[in-house]
Amino acid sequence: MNPILTVNSVKLTINGKPILKGVDLVVNKGEIHAILGPNGAGKSTLAALIMGINDLKEPTDGEIIFRDKLLNGLEIYERAKLGVTLAWQDPARFEGITVEEYLKLSGRNNPELDVVECLELVGLDCNYLNRFVDETLSGGERKRVELASILAMRPELAVLDEPDSGIDFVSMEDIANMIKTMRERGTTVLMITHREEIAEIADRATLMCDGKVVQTGSPKEVGQKFKTMCVKCEVRNPELVGGE
Amino acid sequence: MEVKKNLLDTIGKKFVQVGLPRELFEKNRFNLLVDRNKIVVRYPAPGVRSEVIETPTGVKTKVYVEPGTKLEEPVILCFGAAETTEVQTTEGEIIVGEGADVKFQVYGAMAEGIKLKHENKLKVRVEKNARFEFLDLHYNGEETFVELETETDAYVGENAYFRSIFKQTRGRAGRVRIVLKANVDKKGVAVFETKMIGKKDDEIYVEDVIHLNGEESRGISKSRIIAVDETKATFVGETYGNAPKCRGHIDCSEVIRGKDVVVKAVPVVVVNDETAKVTHEAAIGSIDKKQLETLMARGLTEDEAVDVIVQGMLR
Repeated sequence: MNPILTVNSVKLTINGKPILKGVDLVVNKGEIHAILGPNGAGKSTLAALIMGINDLKEPTDGEIIFRDKLLNGLEIYERAKLGVTLAWQDPARFEGITVEEYLKLSGRNNPELDVVECLELVGLDCNYLNRFVDETLSGGERKRVELASILAMRPELAVLDEPDSGIDFVSMEDIANMIKTMRERGTTVLMITHREEIAEIADRATLMCDGKVVQTGSPKEVGQKFKTMCVKCEVRNPELVGGE
Repeated sequence: MEVKKNLLDTIGKKFVQVGLPRELFEKNRFNLLVDRNKIVVRYPAPGVRSEVIETPTGVKTKVYVEPGTKLEEPVILCFGAAETTEVQTTEGEIIVGEGADVKFQVYGAMAEGIKLKHENKLKVRVEKNARFEFLDLHYNGEETFVELETETDAYVGENAYFRSIFKQTRGRAGRVRIVLKANVDKKGVAVFETKMIGKKDDEIYVEDVIHLNGEESRGISKSRIIAVDETKATFVGETYGNAPKCRGHIDCSEVIRGKDVVVKAVPVVVVNDETAKVTHEAAIGSIDKKQLETLMARGLTEDEAVDVIVQGMLR
């Protein structure tokens, strides 16, 4: 065990409403770790707290530690400089910025950066280099470019928020392979998802529900629990599964 | 060819300092370079006839692109000021003959620290089946103060294409008033694009007026103004759909950054024919937070991320 990210008793309350209710999580260096859970479980909120986005720079209580550094209160770019990044579920579009420029910006501290290789690894050819990262890319293409930008940056920890959303079933295998490639290149992956099929590629998985961790274990065990427990729960307690 | 070499070197240093590409001077790529009211370089382009006269405060130019002229390289002009002068006036007329296809790349360069008023009046006539792109690139220093008044009046002939792009993406804008007008004939196309950044107490006023007078004519008016600090900026886009099946669109997207910024966008859409269609979209707001956070998550500071986003919008 060699923890790269430790989440200790993290609580988050927004406008008096508890969103995270004491989350404990350990992600080991070099692993792919999936966080599974229904909508509203607090998965994306936890991802936002790790990266410091959406004005969530620190939890109400508890601590988030990357290697031996406390992330609480740090700016987004300070976390990125330590080696943490995040890929959004629905990535931003940029007017007037080409794919090549975007990848070069992402990989500006990577001395071995090869933008063409990064594109090839996500299934796009070099013709995409001159395309703009704007509305002219389809949802799937934009998602691939986002994963290419993570490969370009080569961070120590990548938090991938729903990397499988908006991707058709045929491309799911591609996405799984891209995530494995990231790991092969030295990036630990923390992957947020609500689909147990994609979680199966992980080394370990954690199930979250209602702002709490329910179980951590093998993807199979956790996936089984998710299928049996959460699906029934969604039917019984629709108030627990609101949008995140 | 008329080149005042020493003068060119002296001016070159000052204009490169505010952002003009160095290679323009190293390779002397100019077809016409004017400093205040002095012609420094004049070099004809094939198929392009011109008359340039020095006046007490600037120059008067007449340019005629002969019918059928097609140039792969742009015609490069520069009207600048290397030293402070009270006023610089440029008056011009450009006629692009039938079936010609040319690009003019025009640099407006105002050296660091100077103050001046620049007045420009331009008449453009793009004849039948011709294609004309007019890229107007302005470079001012951070400590330069320019009061710019420029008015372009264009006629776009049958099946002709005219695109005018005004860009000032570095340095200070100063006090700027830009008026662009076009009358567009049958199946003609007029495209106006303005991309500017205002800083400190800059004042920007942009007015695009497109009259779609010919059947199936088209017009696009697009503005991207980034207003920072205490900048006051106004964009007025007027498009008149006067003919059957003409199509027009106004697209203004302005970004504000600073609590004392005031930005106004006024789209005016007038349609006088039941088969005409003119649309508009306008958005004024701060830098998109998700764009900012995405770049910061790749290690850029907030200021670096803003610069990347803004330069992308002004591209």
